[in-house]
Amino acid sequence: MKHSRLPLVTTLLVLIFFYLPIFVLVANSFNASRFSSSWDGFTFKWYGLLWHNRDIWQAVRNTLVIGLSATATAMVLGTTGALALHRYRSRLQAAHYGLLWMPLVVPDILMGMSMLLFFVAIGRQLGLVTVLIAHVTFCISYVAMVVLARLQDFDDAILEAAQDLGADWWTITWRILVPLLAPGIIAGGLLAFTLSIDDYVVTFFVAGTGSTTLPLQIYSMIKHSKQLPVINALSTLLLVVTFAAVYVSKHLLKESTPS
Amino acid sequence: MKHSPVRTLVAGLIVGLLTVLSPAFAKDKPTLHIFTWADYVKPELVAAFEKAHDCTVVIDTYDSNEAMYAKLKAGATGYDLLFPSSYMVKVMYDQGMLQELDHAKLPNLVHVDPDYLKKALDAKMGHSVPYMLTNTGIGYLKSKVKDFQPTWAMFDRADLAGRVTMLNDMREAFGAALKSLGYSINTTDPKQLEAARDVLIRWKKNLAKFENEQYKTGLASGEFLMVQGYSGDIQQAMEDNKDIGFVVPKEGTSISCDDMVIPKTATNVDLATAFINDMLDPKVSAENIDFIGYIAPNKDAYPLISEDLRNDPNIFLPPALSAKCEIIGDIGESLKLYTKLWDEVKAAK
Repeated sequence: MKHSRLPLVTTLLVLIFFYLPIFVLVANSFNASRFSSSWDGFTFKWYGLLWHNRDIWQAVRNTLVIGLSATATAMVLGTTGALALHRYRSRLQAAHYGLLWMPLVVPDILMGMSMLLFFVAIGRQLGLVTVLIAHVTFCISYVAMVVLARLQDFDDAILEAAQDLGADWWTITWRILVPLLAPGIIAGGLLAFTLSIDDYVVTFFVAGTGSTTLPLQIYSMIKHSKQLPVINALSTLLLVVTFAAVYVSKHLLKESTPS
Repeated sequence: MKHSPVRTLVAGLIVGLLTVLSPAFAKDKPTLHIFTWADYVKPELVAAFEKAHDCTVVIDTYDSNEAMYAKLKAGATGYDLLFPSSYMVKVMYDQGMLQELDHAKLPNLVHVDPDYLKKALDAKMGHSVPYMLTNTGIGYLKSKVKDFQPTWAMFDRADLAGRVTMLNDMREAFGAALKSLGYSINTTDPKQLEAARDVLIRWKKNLAKFENEQYKTGLASGEFLMVQGYSGDIQQAMEDNKDIGFVVPKEGTSISCDDMVIPKTATNVDLATAFINDMLDPKVSAENIDFIGYIAPNKDAYPLISEDLRNDPNIFLPPALSAKCEIIGDIGESLKLYTKLWDEVKAAK
């Protein structure tokens, strides 16, 4: 029997399509040429400039603070929301689903503008907190959607069995629900985290003084900055940190599984 | 135990959050909030200002005048100092969004170039002080563009077709066309504008595209042979590719300037005024020029910058050419006509 070459070729093409831009970016972070149009020699100067650029580090800190807090909050609220939608039926069920879907389909620009108007109307000073609230708003929906999908295959009989055996709700939540839903919650959380880190449009409108995030900083740098390639250097560092984190967590999981 | 990784994760998140959040609460010094373009003020100068005035400077960034305006118009507050372009300054001033400046606290205003002020929209610097300006001109590859002439008519050259770009900016594109016909870039005469539209449609046949950002890269890599662009941008590209030349066409061009203004909602007016004054110091100004590559209209800073830059006739224009250059001003009601004609240019085949 002769295997088709098509799947192999497709896989290779997809891999190239995904990863080639990243390789180009990494290579360019070491390129002495500012416009990365040609290779002008190997340099660490962008990393040096990055180290001294306090605006970028401030933006990185803001991005991480907002990303992590928004994700944590959305994981709790999104999961509880999904559980409520799954377990209880109400007359407003359709409306509740609609509310959850809304942030997924509403254009960012509309969301950003309306939130800005809302915060101004209630007299709330814009800053990290308003960005956080805005991010939680759209992150909840993503977490809830993923957890809801996970709940579709959830066997409710397990919960009833636990109750029969005398487990209280606290025990059921922490020993059964959370562990079984964990993959969904974590997947939703990761999705929320990437969306929060990326977000430009909504963030621009609700950001206030001292809450410039990395995307805002990068967009603004395109206009005038002579130091644009430091973004390549920063992205390379983020990539290294991400890979390291994935490697370490795999390692830790492997060690904890046999016990 | 299956639930332990989740607990560890949650605990880790909380600890991590507390660590990164904690410095955010350390606020005892007065704070100056600046809303500007990224990397627009040399960081060392900001640090020096913080030290001299015992304050904290927080810089937030925007990427277009319109975005900044939309945000402030909707009611966003907290910013003490803004750096919008002149035309946007006019719009904001007309709507009562800006404060008058206290000249008694701005002794360094004497350094501002009077030649520039003659053209400026706010010549008395009542509510705005010029920070950085840039000329629009033509950047080209010296070895590839044969028989280059310093004129907007270069965009008619069919031998460059497909390797040429113009700015994707209504006022800049019309500015070039109007200047090529000998009209003012701020004209509101429909006949002149229609003539300019026809010129643009003719030029468009030679254009690869209307482009605002990537033209620097395209010119440096040789993808484009000739571009309409800002002197500051092309100056940056020149550092990468020595073959690049830049001229201001003999018919004249547009000059754009970013100004420093204090919004009505500012809470720390004294610090903002002090910062403006600090930026006008000739030494500070010269360091900023060197850092960003644009020109600050500060006559006492000129002797402090590099000779190459100072003697470049396309940066510091000779008086005869300078007289033909204009600041992009407000066109009021004619904006609708401009937009309609620009749409026709964009739609033309």
